[in-house]
Amino acid sequence: MSERRIGVYICHCGGNISDFVEVEKVRDAIENEEGVTVAKTTMFACSDAAQQEMINDIHEHKLDGLVVASCSPTLHTFTFRGVAERAGLNPYQYVQVNVREQCSWAHTDLKEQATEKAIYMVKAGIAKVRLTHPLKKTRIDTVPRTLVIGAGISGLRAAIAHSDLGISAFVIEKSDRIGGWVSEFGKMYPHNRLGSDLITELSEEIKKRENIHIYTEAEILTKSGSVGDFDVKIKVKNEEISLNVGSIIVATGFASYQPYEGEYAYGTDGVLTLPDFKELIDNSKGEIIYQGKPVKNVTYIYCVGSRDSSGEKGHTYCSRYCCNAAIHASLIANDVSSELNQFHIYRDIRTYGKYELLYREALQKGAVFIKFDEASPPRVEKSNGRFNVQVKDVLTFGEEIEIESDLVVLVTAMEPRENKAMNDVLKLPVSLDGFFKEIHPKLRPVETVIDGVLIAGTSQAPRNSAESVAMSLAATSKSASLLMKGYVELEPLIAMVNEDTCVWCGKCSEACPYSAIEKISSGEKEIAAINTAQCKGCGCCVPVCPENALTIKGYTDEQIRAMIDAMEVLL
Amino acid sequence: MNYDILVVGGGIAGMESALTLGDMGYSVLLVEKEPTIGGKMILLSKVFPTLDCASCIATPKMASTFHHSQVTTMTYSEVNDIRKTPKGTFQVSINKKATYVDFDKCTGCQRCEFACTVAIPDQYNFDLVGRRSAHIAFDQAVPKKAVIERYGSSPCSFACPVSMQPHGYVSLIRSGLFDEALEHILKFVPIPGSLGRTCSAPCENECARGELEGSLPIRQLKRFASDHYYEKYPNPKYGPPGEILDKKVAVVGSGPAGLTAAYFLAKDGYKVTIFEAEDRPGGMLTLTIPSYRLPSEVVERDIKNVTALGVEIKTGHRVESLTELKNDGFDAVFVACGAMQDTKMKVEGEDLAGVVGAVDFLKGVNRGDKIDLTGKTVVVVGGGNVAIDSARVARRLGASKVYIQYRRSRAEMPAFDVEIQDAIDEDIEMQYLKTPVRFTGKDGKLAKVESISMKLGDPDESGRRRPVPVEGSESSIKVDLCIVAIGQRPDIASFADNDKSKLTRWNTLVVDSTTLETNIPGVFAGGDVVSGAATVVEAAHAGAHAAVYMKRYLRGEQLPGEPLQQMLPVVDRNEVLKRQSEYRTLNPGKRKELPPKERVSDFSEVELPFTDDEARYEAGRCLDCGGCSRCGQCVVACQADAIDFSMRDEIKELEVGSVVISTGFELFNPSSKIQYGYDHAPNVITAMQMDRLLAPTRPYNTVLRPSDGKIPDNIAYVLCAGSRDCQVGNELCSRVCCMYSIKQAQLIMGSLPLADITIYYIDIRAFGKEFEEFYQQAKQMGVSFVKGKVARIEEGDNGNLIVQHENIAGDGKSERTEHDLVVLSVGMLPNQDALGLLSGGEIEADSHHYVKEVDEDHSPARTSLEGIYVAGTASAAMDIPDTILHSGAAAALAAAHVERVKK
Repeated sequence: MSERRIGVYICHCGGNISDFVEVEKVRDAIENEEGVTVAKTTMFACSDAAQQEMINDIHEHKLDGLVVASCSPTLHTFTFRGVAERAGLNPYQYVQVNVREQCSWAHTDLKEQATEKAIYMVKAGIAKVRLTHPLKKTRIDTVPRTLVIGAGISGLRAAIAHSDLGISAFVIEKSDRIGGWVSEFGKMYPHNRLGSDLITELSEEIKKRENIHIYTEAEILTKSGSVGDFDVKIKVKNEEISLNVGSIIVATGFASYQPYEGEYAYGTDGVLTLPDFKELIDNSKGEIIYQGKPVKNVTYIYCVGSRDSSGEKGHTYCSRYCCNAAIHASLIANDVSSELNQFHIYRDIRTYGKYELLYREALQKGAVFIKFDEASPPRVEKSNGRFNVQVKDVLTFGEEIEIESDLVVLVTAMEPRENKAMNDVLKLPVSLDGFFKEIHPKLRPVETVIDGVLIAGTSQAPRNSAESVAMSLAATSKSASLLMKGYVELEPLIAMVNEDTCVWCGKCSEACPYSAIEKISSGEKEIAAINTAQCKGCGCCVPVCPENALTIKGYTDEQIRAMIDAMEVLL
Repeated sequence: MNYDILVVGGGIAGMESALTLGDMGYSVLLVEKEPTIGGKMILLSKVFPTLDCASCIATPKMASTFHHSQVTTMTYSEVNDIRKTPKGTFQVSINKKATYVDFDKCTGCQRCEFACTVAIPDQYNFDLVGRRSAHIAFDQAVPKKAVIERYGSSPCSFACPVSMQPHGYVSLIRSGLFDEALEHILKFVPIPGSLGRTCSAPCENECARGELEGSLPIRQLKRFASDHYYEKYPNPKYGPPGEILDKKVAVVGSGPAGLTAAYFLAKDGYKVTIFEAEDRPGGMLTLTIPSYRLPSEVVERDIKNVTALGVEIKTGHRVESLTELKNDGFDAVFVACGAMQDTKMKVEGEDLAGVVGAVDFLKGVNRGDKIDLTGKTVVVVGGGNVAIDSARVARRLGASKVYIQYRRSRAEMPAFDVEIQDAIDEDIEMQYLKTPVRFTGKDGKLAKVESISMKLGDPDESGRRRPVPVEGSESSIKVDLCIVAIGQRPDIASFADNDKSKLTRWNTLVVDSTTLETNIPGVFAGGDVVSGAATVVEAAHAGAHAAVYMKRYLRGEQLPGEPLQQMLPVVDRNEVLKRQSEYRTLNPGKRKELPPKERVSDFSEVELPFTDDEARYEAGRCLDCGGCSRCGQCVVACQADAIDFSMRDEIKELEVGSVVISTGFELFNPSSKIQYGYDHAPNVITAMQMDRLLAPTRPYNTVLRPSDGKIPDNIAYVLCAGSRDCQVGNELCSRVCCMYSIKQAQLIMGSLPLADITIYYIDIRAFGKEFEEFYQQAKQMGVSFVKGKVARIEEGDNGNLIVQHENIAGDGKSERTEHDLVVLSVGMLPNQDALGLLSGGEIEADSHHYVKEVDEDHSPARTSLEGIYVAGTASAAMDIPDTILHSGAAAALAAAHVERVKK
C-alpha cells in the first residue's frame, strides 16, 4: 500500500460533541494511525475559518485523504466535498464520521465510553479513507432535441414549451390528425373555451416555429442509448425515420370507459356515455333533440366505471374529471334549454377546489342531486320510449325515488389507453390502475425509472385538460433541465463489474430496479455490464451475485472490511 | 440582470420551481420570509396517499435547493416591491430582515436557543408549545442558522432614558437568573441600587401589561436584583481594566451623572478622578434623598461599582475653575456638579429664621444634624419629590402637623404618585392650589405663613395650566418651620467667571445637544447642571451619553462623528395585545411597605423587598412585547461570537428576468366559526395542530389532548371547517381536507390503536391518483364516516365535546355525539400577500382573491402580467402532487420568458 497523507479533523461542535466526547483524547488516540499526517480538533469544523484551515493543510501537507469527524453526513457531506474540491483534493477521498448523532448525542450519560466509541469510529473512517481512490463523475453530452409521443393537448403544448426554450421537438401521433380528445370537445370547463379552438390555437403556434416537427400516423419502433442521447426509430406511415433525441415525453392520453352491454341499460337508445352526451349538446341549439324527439328530463348516473370497490366491473379508482365534467355538461345543457329537468345520481360530488362553483351554479339553476350508496345502485328500465330510473336516495334517508327520463347519461370513467406496442419499446412501469407510473408522486412526478423518459397528462392518471397541460409543462421543465446545460453529470458512486469473475447468471440484472445491468459479450464469455447513466449506486445487485463480482465504488468490500477491522476491539 | 428568475416563497412550490430552473441553468434567487425554507409541508407528519414522511420528502428538497450552485436563497427576507421595466425585466426591492446572527459564524449549535430567556408561542407547532426568541425554526431547518426574533423595541426598553433594556433584566429575573439580571443592568449604569429605589420608572408607564391588570413593577424588580446581588457580592467582582490608557479625565461632581460618566470612561481604561465638593460622594443620592427611600449603604455599594475600576473620588474638593483642571493635566473634563442651590420664592419674610430651602434642610438631616421638630407645625412649599421628601422627613423628625402647599392641583404635581400617596398616608395634609405670599414673624423668627388660593388658568409653555391667584382668598397658618422646595439651580457662577463658560438664563451650562461638549473644548457637561433639576435616571443617561463623546474626543476623533445607532422602533402595545388571542390573568402583587404608623417613627426603608418568588411572579407577567428582551444570554452562550445586535434590516434592489410567485396559502382560522368552539374549548384543535401531534418531530411524542394531557380515545373530524361555507365567506372546496383527515385517521389508528375515529363529512373528495383506494383503506381500518354537517360543538364534562350533527345516511335525525377530542379540518385560504407584491397592483386576482391564472387552458401558472408566473397554492387550493406539477409549469413559462427577454 502506498503511503497515504491523511488529515483528520475532530469537531467540538461548540460542546455538542466535546461535552460528552473528549475530543482531545480522540485526537491523541488517532494521531499516530498509519497515514495520518495532520490531526486536529476544531471548535466548528463547518465554520468558514475551519474550512480555510483544512484547505491550507491540504496544500501545505499535500494531503490525499480527508476525514472529518463531526455531525451527520446528511448535513455536511457537500460542505466538505466542497472543501476538498477547493483545495484540489478529489472529493471522493474525503470521509465523514458522525460522532455527534451517532455518538455524543446518543451517549450523553456515558462520557468515557462515548470517547472510546468515537476513537474507533474515527479509526474506521481513517481505515476507509486509506483505501479511497480519486473518482470522477460520469459526464454525458446531451442533444437539445426531444421526442413527444402523442399529439393531444399535452403533447402539443410540451412541444411548444420545448421550442420556447430552444429545444427542438419531434411529435409523433398514432392517428391521422392532431388534437386528441380536446379537439373534439365543444365548451370545456371551467372557462367555457371550445376544445377545438384550443387545439387550433396551438396548431397555429406550432406552424410559426421551425423547430417543431409533427408526424401523424407515426409510432416508435426502437429506442437505444441513454438519457441525453437516445437513438429512436419511428415508423411514419410506411417510412422509417431515425431520430437522435435527448429526452422522450410520453403524452399518450386516455381512453374513455365503455360500459358493458346492459350496464344501466347501456346499449339501449337514449343511454349515452358522457362524451356522447357532450357531442349531442355541443351540436344543439334552442332545445335538445334526441332521435327526433325533444328531451325534457335527463338523468345522470355518476361513477360509471369508477370507484368500483370490488374492481370487478369497473375501475377501483376515482376518475377525477367526471363530477366536474358532468356538472359542466349539465350547465351547458341548461344553457341550451332552461326548460330541461336534470337529475344527478351521484355517490360523492367531487367538484374539488374552484370547481365547487360549478356545483353551486347547477344547484342554483335547479338541478336535482340524489345520492346513492354503492351497495344499492340505481336501476334503469325502459318503457313506452322513456326511461324509469329508480334509486334509493341517501339524502332523503333512504326514500325510493323514481325518475322518468328521456335520456340517461352515464358519467363514464377515464381509463388508460392501450399502448402495448409503444411500451414494448419504452418499458415504462405502470401503476396498479394501469396508468404509467411516476418515480414518486411528489419528488419526481413526471419522471420514470427510465432516465430521460418523462410522462405527462392523462397517460399518468386521470386529470382534466388544464391539469394535463400543467403536467406537460412540468415535464418540459424536467426535460429542459436535462438538456439545456449540454451535459448531465452522474455520481460516480455506482456499481462496477469484475469482468474476470463475472459469469453472467443474470441475478444482478433481475435485482436492479433501474434496468441498468445488461448482458454483453467480453471475449469468450458473457458478462454483466453496468449502464453508468442508469445505475444509481443503490447496491441491490451486490449481495445477490454468487461470484461476488460486483462492487459499489466508494463502498468496496475492502473498505468495509478495513472499517470493521479498525473497530475490532469494540466487537 | 442580477438573476434570471426571482422565486418568491420557499415552500414546496418555490423550492420545486427554483430547483427546476436552477437545473436548467438559470440563475435563481429564492426569497423566503421565514428563517427557513420548507414552507408548510415540512411541518406535516406524513403525506397522502403514499404516507411518506413529509420530512423525508421535503428535507432533501430543502438541502438541494439551498446548496444548488445556481440558486441563491435569501431567508428571513421579504419582497417589498416588484416593478416591470420597459425591457420586460423586473426591478425588485427586497427587505433582508436583520437576524441578529452572523450566518457566516453561526454553526447551528442551538446554544443561544437554550440560553434565551424569552418564550414565544411556536408557530411551527401551531402554538401547541413554546419556542425561544433566539431560535432555529426546527431541527431540519435550512439554513440551520439561528435567528433572533425582534418585533422592535419593547415599550419599556424604549422608554428608558439610559436604554438599560428593562425587558432584558425582567426576563432574566423571570428565568431565575438574578446575578445575570444585575450584571445586565451594570452594562448600562453603575447605580442600580439607587435607581431601583428612586427611578421615576418611565418604563412602567409604557408597560403593555398596564393595559390589562397593571404594569410590571419594573423599578422594584431592579431593586430586587441589586439587593440580591449586593448581599451576595459586597464588592464588585471586577477590578480595574487590564489596560490603562495614558489619558486622564476629571469629573466634577459624584452624583448619578458624574459616577456614570466616570464608570464608562474608566471601563475603557481612562484614568478618572472625581472631584466632589461635599465631604461624601453621591451627590443628591446621599445628600438629599432621605434614607427611608434610599439607604446610604445602597449608594455606597453603587459607588463601589465605579471605584472598583480605579476611579478616585476626592471629596471636600470644590472645583472653581475648569481651565485649571485642564492645566493640571486632565485631557478632558466632565462637569456634573448638579443643581444644589435652592430657588428662592422671592416673597416677603423669606429671610426669617425658620424659612429654609429644602436642599439645605435635607442635607442637614442626611449629614446627621440634630433637628428636633417634636410637636412643631411645618409647611412645605412645592409639588416635586423634594417637597414630598421634606414633608415626610419633617414628619419623621417629630412634627405634629405637616402641610404641603402647592400652587396647582394634584394632577399637575411632578412628584411620583406613589410618593404623594405615601405622604398622605403619613398624615401629611395636602393643600392644593395654595401658595405663600408672605412670611411673618417675631424677632426675626417665622411665626405665620400667609397664603393665597389659586385657580387654574390657561396652559403655560410647559403645558400645565397656569395658576392664577384668587383675589380675597388669603389665609394664614401658624407655623414653626417652612421648607421651600420650589426648585434648585446649579451653583456655577465661578465657571462663568473663571472659565468664561456659557450659561443659560436659568444658570445652567450651555452644551452641544449631541456631544454635551461645553463652549470650552474638551469640557463636557451633563445632568442637573445642564438640564436643571431632573431625575436620577436622566442624570445617569447624561453621564453615559457624555462618556461616548468624551471617548471620541480623547481618541482624537472629530466630533460628533458617526451618529449613535438608534434603537429599533417601539412596538405598538395594541399589536402586542392582539398577538395572542388570550392572556392569562396575572394581577400585580400588592405593594409591600411598612405601615404608615410604624414608618414615621424612624428612617427605616419604607418599601419592602420582594422575595425571590414574588420577583419571579412579577417578572413572569411580562408580555415580551419586543420579542427578544436583549438580556444578552445568547451573546454569552455563543461560542462562535455570532450574535450581533447592531444588525439592521437591509434593502436590496435587484433586476430579474422573470418572477415566480409561490407564496402559498393561509389556513382558515376557526375562531370565526364560533359555533365550533375553537377559541373556548381547549380540546377543539385544528388539523394542522393534529399533524404536529403526529409528526416525527412531534412536541409530546404522542397524541395528547390539550385540556388535561389525556390520550384521546374517541376523536372526531369535522370536514369543511371553513370551506364550502358561505357563512364564513369561503364557498370554495379546499381540496386537501378530506384526504389529510383520512391520512390522520390512519396515522392515529397506528399510534392509538384503541381510538375510535369518526369523520363527519359532506362529500368525501378522494379524487387524485390512489386517493379513492386510500379512502377505502381507511374505511376498512374501521374509521367511521358519517355523512352530515356539524352544526355546533359544545363543551361537556371533563373537557369532552358534544358534536351536534345530522346523520343523513342514518335516519336523518339531528344527533348529539360525545367525543374527547375534535379536530377541525380547516381549509385553505389565499395568502393575499401575493397580490401586494407589485406596488402598481398589476397582478389580477380571481374572484376569490387568489392570483388569477389568465390562460389556465394553455398556460396554467400565467398571471395577468407577462413575465410573472404563479406556482402552487398562491393560485388555488391544491395538494402537494398538483403543486409540484404546477410549479414545474411555472418554471417552464418563466424560463421561456427569460429566453424572450434575453433575445
